[in-house]
Amino acid sequence: MSEVLIAAELRTEFGKGAARKIRRASKVPAVLYGHGTEPRHLTLPGHELLLALRTANVLIHVQGDGVDELVLPKGVQRDPIKGFVEHVDLLLVKRGEKVTVEIPVTVAGEVIGGALVDQQLVTVSVEAEATHIPSGVEVDVDGKDVGFVVTAGDLQLPNGVTLAGDPEALVLHVVAPQAAALPAEGAEAAEGEAPAEAAAE
Amino acid sequence: MLIPRRVKHRKQHRPDRSGAAKGGTRVVFGEFGIQALEHSYVTNRQIESARIAMTRHIRRGGKVWINIYPDRPLTKKPAETRMGSGKGSPEWWIANVKPGRVMFELSGVAEPVAREAMRRAMHKLPMKCRFVKREVGEA
Repeated sequence: MSEVLIAAELRTEFGKGAARKIRRASKVPAVLYGHGTEPRHLTLPGHELLLALRTANVLIHVQGDGVDELVLPKGVQRDPIKGFVEHVDLLLVKRGEKVTVEIPVTVAGEVIGGALVDQQLVTVSVEAEATHIPSGVEVDVDGKDVGFVVTAGDLQLPNGVTLAGDPEALVLHVVAPQAAALPAEGAEAAEGEAPAEAAAE
Repeated sequence: MLIPRRVKHRKQHRPDRSGAAKGGTRVVFGEFGIQALEHSYVTNRQIESARIAMTRHIRRGGKVWINIYPDRPLTKKPAETRMGSGKGSPEWWIANVKPGRVMFELSGVAEPVAREAMRRAMHKLPMKCRFVKREVGEA
């Protein structure tokens, strides 16, 4: 995976007032820590960071103001409605170092007509070199029938990547679809009485 | 319909309607979701109605999650009653939903089917909502 270069400035003012001022300037407050070092507070450009964070586990090279480090985004706080990045936690990594990250599990192919893929895990925890984190792992369910099961141990991980979690954990299984329980009209009306009855208690 | 089996206090104050959702703002169980864009009290009847609208559209297949629970009672005084003489009787059970909250999730169906099912469900809900998808690889 390639690195993304982002220019950073050291932050000297803290607290919500200073953070809001930074956000008004279309920048993002961030904190950088790891390897037992003292946390460093940074300001990153908002748009570039937003684009970089579209890739899962993106390796970022932050540079500027006495900072020249390779980092991984550890925690991203977003506005739930507007989606802009409010704050980022960055974890220091070194080239060649093994890190434990969550990578997405994607499903490819179509199961045999009518069956349903029940995906229990959308990400799996893996251990990989910081500079060679896989973008995801694909599970092929093409032509599979009810009863097909994939556990974390069955996933085909790239070379140099090992599973960090429980290999017995269920990733997905193919199940028979259940018809939606459609109550009769009369039954719905009877259900409608329930709150009033409960209220009368 | 969703109703608490037992409550500590039968009559409560009306829940706070300010602020945004603190958690439950992402799609985590399914692939698609309905996210609230406004504040609202969602009654258990509205939740059930939205669920039925969704499941009837997707017919067989698909799985629906309901992430909100109507655990707050609202009371009402009878019509043409003079003020005073105590709090009214419990009338509705509501979920206090704040902006950003993902209320319903769906998986196991194609996106156009999910969009239509959720559009139908949104018509049963009392606030502005939007269709959201699970974000892949967010830290």
